[in-house]
Order: sequence, then C-alpha cells, then structure tokens
Amino acid sequence: MILLVTGATGAFGQRLIRKLTPCDDIEKIYALGRQNRLDIISRKIEFIEADITEEITIPDEIRCNMTAILHAAAETRFSAPLEEVRRVNVDGLANILNLAFRCPRLDRFGCLSTIYIAGKRTGRVNENEFDHAAGFVNAYEQSKFEAERFLHEHAAHVPVAIYRLSTILGDSRTGEVAKTGAIHEAIRFFYHSLAPMIPGTAETPVDLISSDYAVAAIGRLFCNKFESGKTFHVCAGMDAMPLGEMLNAARECFLRNRPEWRKRAIEMPALVGLETYELFVRSVEEIGNTALQQSVRAIKYFAPQLAYPKTFDDRECASALAGSRVKRPALRDFFPRVVEYLINEKWRRLDTNFPPEPI
Amino acid sequence: MNIGLEAIEYVLPESRRNLEELEVAGALETSAHRLREFGFEYAFTSKEDAFDLASKATAALLKNHDIEPEKIDALFFAGAIASSHSVNQSLEFLSAFNYPACRLQYDFGLLNAIVAGISQTGCMGMMTAVKCAADFLRGSDAENALCVSADVFPSRAKREVIYNVISDGGCALWVRKNATRNFLRAHRQKTKGYYWDCVARRNEIVAAYFPTACAIVRETLADARIDMDQVARVIPHNVSRRSWEILLNLLGINRERLFDENISAIGHIIAADNFINLKDAAERGKISRGDKLLLFNFGFGANWGCMVLEH
Repeated sequence: MILLVTGATGAFGQRLIRKLTPCDDIEKIYALGRQNRLDIISRKIEFIEADITEEITIPDEIRCNMTAILHAAAETRFSAPLEEVRRVNVDGLANILNLAFRCPRLDRFGCLSTIYIAGKRTGRVNENEFDHAAGFVNAYEQSKFEAERFLHEHAAHVPVAIYRLSTILGDSRTGEVAKTGAIHEAIRFFYHSLAPMIPGTAETPVDLISSDYAVAAIGRLFCNKFESGKTFHVCAGMDAMPLGEMLNAARECFLRNRPEWRKRAIEMPALVGLETYELFVRSVEEIGNTALQQSVRAIKYFAPQLAYPKTFDDRECASALAGSRVKRPALRDFFPRVVEYLINEKWRRLDTNFPPEPI
Repeated sequence: MNIGLEAIEYVLPESRRNLEELEVAGALETSAHRLREFGFEYAFTSKEDAFDLASKATAALLKNHDIEPEKIDALFFAGAIASSHSVNQSLEFLSAFNYPACRLQYDFGLLNAIVAGISQTGCMGMMTAVKCAADFLRGSDAENALCVSADVFPSRAKREVIYNVISDGGCALWVRKNATRNFLRAHRQKTKGYYWDCVARRNEIVAAYFPTACAIVRETLADARIDMDQVARVIPHNVSRRSWEILLNLLGINRERLFDENISAIGHIIAADNFINLKDAAERGKISRGDKLLLFNFGFGANWGCMVLEH
C-alpha cells in the first residue's frame, strides 16, 4: 500500500502515522500537511507540503503509484464560523477527492468524520444513517455533515469508507492528552469552580473514546478491513457514561489527587435545560466578566450537544474489529486516568491566560 | 413552639435616583441600559448614617406594634459593611467600640435585652440575625427578640456590586416565640470560606452562586418537608431579575411565584431585602394566611441562606 495521509501533522494525524508506519502492508506513507512538524522519523515516511484548501498538486510519480488516501485533515474548532470550517472540511475534501480522481491505482479512500454529524438528533443513531433535518449545535458538526454529503454525491467512482469518530479524551494507558478540547476545558472549569451549569440530565450519555483505541481501530478498519461504501462509528457506543456519573467520577478524581480541593466545597454543576443554559450564557456575555466569559465560551459551542441525548450504534465497527487485537478500553477505567493527567499537568497544554492552579 | 416574624418595619432614605442619574454621577460600573435589562430602575441613597436608619426602623416597629421595650429579651443587629457597626466614630481609638446595638438598647429602653452584632455574613446578615433570634428563643425562656439591620454606602462608593444596584435602608423585625404569623419552618445557611476573598474570587463567586443556591433551597425545603410545588411565593433578595429567572428555572419554580416588584422599585438593600419584600408582599395582598414562603439570600463570605416561612 502506498498511502497518503492528510492532516498528518496534527495531533491525531501523527498518532495515526505512528500506528501505521510499522504495518508490513504499507510500503510508503506520504504525510501531507501545511508545515512539517512530524515527530516520527522513518524511511517509509515522506512529508509533502500542501494546503488542502487549495488545489493539490503532487509529483506524477507519487500520484500514479498511490493506492490509498486517508483523509484526516479537518478544522475541529467548534467556535469557528461556518464559512471558515467549510473551507477546510468541505472545500478541502473536494480538493483531496479531485486528487483521488487522478490516482489511477487508488483502491481505497478513507475519510475521518464525526459521530456528531447527527447534530441535534436524539435517540439511537445507526452507522448507516446519514441524512436528517434536526439541525446542528455548531458549525463544525454542520461542515462535517456537508462533507459526508459531498462524498455521497461526488465520490461514486472512488472506493470510499467513512470513519465517524467520537470525542477523543486521552490515552487509555497513560491518560496523556495530546490535544485538548472542549471536554478537557469543561473538566478544568469544574475543577476551578467556574462551571455553574451544564445542559442535560444526569442520564445524558457522554460518548468518549481513548486516542489509542481511535488510531488502532482506524488503522485496522482502513488497512485490513476496508469496505467501500461503509460507514463506521468509532465510538463508545453502549459504553458511554451518563453525565451525572461522569461528573461524580471527575469529582472523586479531584478529591483523590488533590485532597485540598475538598476544602473549596465546590458544588457539582447544575444540570439544566437548554433554555436556562442559554440564558446564563447570554447573561455572562452581557456582563462582560472576562474569566467567566472565557469559561463559558470554551464550552458553549459543545455543551448544548448534551441537551440532545443520543446513543451511537457501533455494531458494524465492532463486527469489523472482532477477532482482532483492537479492543475498546472501558471509558470508566480510563476516564479517571485522563483526569489525573490533566490535574498533574495543570492543564498546561491549554491556553496560558488562565490563572495558575493555586493548590 | 411557633416562632415567627410577628412584625416588620423598614425605612428608606428620601433620595431616590434612577439609573441614568446614577450613571451620570459615575456610580455604576455597568451601563444603565444593561442594568435596566437586568431588572433595576432606582436606588435610594441616604444622607443619614446607618444608625439613623436603624433607629427610625426600630422606632416604627415599637410604636406601630405596641411593643413594650422591656419585654424584649434580645437585640440582634446586622450590618453588611464595617461602617454600619459603629456610631459616632472619631479619631479617638475607643470610639471604634461605639456599637449601634448598645445605643439602640439604650435609646429605646430595651432594658432586658442582651445584644449581639452580626457583621460577617454580608447581605445575609438579617437572615442570620433571625436565625440567631429563633435559636435564642427556642433555647431559653425568652419570648421576644428584635432584629435590626441598616447599611449606608459611603457617599463616594459605587451603587453597584456585581451587576446589582444597591440602595441604603434600615429594617427592624419582631421575632416572637408565640407568633401569630410568618412561622419559621426551616432555615439553612451554607458558608464557603474558599470564596472569602471577594476581589480575587469574584468570578468563582458568580459561578458558584447558582449550583449552591439550588442545593441549599432543596435542602431547606426538605427540612420543611415541602416540595417546590407547595411554595406559594418566593420572597427574594433584590439581586437582578435575570439571575432570579435563571435560578427559578434551575429550581423548576414558575416565575410568576416570584415577588419581584421591589427589584426595580427599590434595588438591593443589602441585608434587609427579604424582609422588606415580605412586608410589602403581605400589605399588597400577594400572600395569604398559611402560604409557604421561600426566602433565599446570598452574602459575601461567601454565604448562602434559605428560609421557609408559613405566613
């Protein structure tokens, strides 16, 4: 397999390449990115500088021999405006697909997506379901939905599989968080007594996966179990944790790792309806309270998703991984490990404007 | 033993200023427009000191309800700011011990009343005083206690504290062992010392306000053995209407049950809001005999307080 990976220099892309490099089936990996920040050195890997928002030109000898493309590049900022995320997630996909059309030996095209293309749907979401009119919580979700639609409409002659990823929490073995997102910020604000309320109920399922499972599952599904026309949910599925249980687990972790935290007597965030949450967010924006605004803004593009409870079916994925060494670590086991990592690292990988941890 | 709030009197200063006047005077941190959206309209500002307002409220209480001064067994004086706890203070060091509670005891001939001051629960002061009075009556042969509160902001101080418009005022309550109304069914106070530094922890205080408020209201209702549906009226402290809207949503209490007329008309009278509102709600026919009333308050420190009364 001669493979091109887009988004190769991102946190997830790098993990993916590290996972795929030792595979015997893979002869060569072309890592495509805007800037060479690869932290893995191998004779198999070659960096190609390219911006997917522009037409992609690569040398003919590479293009003509390419057999596989794994499209992992994405704009994942929930707060980014729709036009901005569309430019990367939809137009960028179109550019990669154009390249795919010009690869005569291509036998597979894998596209990473998100389970949250389900947007504001509630209930059970199956892997073979796509279209809906429920709307979206943020522009990122909408752009990834549009990207999938673009694939359905324009990739008829390319063997495509879609891998919808859940939210990646961290490494199940070490708790390491390579890239922090809204979920990590939410935990941080709870720790710092800046999370007064979260939309949802105690029973709302929160679907999170470990980074090691995500790369292992995608590696397996793409390299060994590729099925054109299929969509897979790489998610926690029935292992998702209820929101109330998750907040309790975070709290227990704070207490275990920082016994002094108990003295703060911080209440659990109130679980509220979306209307109340939005009223609070609006009020904070109106009063111009910087630190509180910062905490609210960090999660307001993600938190409303919790007001649309849903579970993701992953039977296709489970079936494709059955018999392999890829096992999904239990969320209840690794969640505390990740929280502990965040506490010990003092959320260092997050922005530095936040007040330093006093304990 | 039916301990209750038998009578309430309050006084407001003569000077009332609207938001635009306060804004022009540089007394606001937030725009008048925004504060109006939050439910405020006026603030009362006093040229008299806190003791004068406390004295007027006490005089009105004793006179209007025919209370014999010598039958008062205790006087609890509450003030949220330090200046409320001294009278005629001068450069003379000893004048720092000029306590208003003692002067009230003397001025009104409360010869049998012991006195105590409550100064470190912020805007919760009067509620803490009522709790102290109730506990005092419950644990002794005493029959009657007075709770008095007054605060006057320094003339150059802003009239806004964390997005709430502040008024000066004084209030006096008669807490009685065999009361005929406003029976105290439950009271809770939560103090969270983590938030003691109001300046450094300002953001955390705003964030902690709602979940802690929810917790204490639920616990107090459980103590009173009633549920949210049985609360006939919520008697608030006069913080922003917006924050009440959020809190009521969190608690699942219909907004119409909030007695909120005084938020715009008076503003936040530091420690006395709940009891001023209780008196006005009764006089305006907004509550009936037997109604279960929920009083909630918050004060720096940080302190959260909740009380269930049966009118």
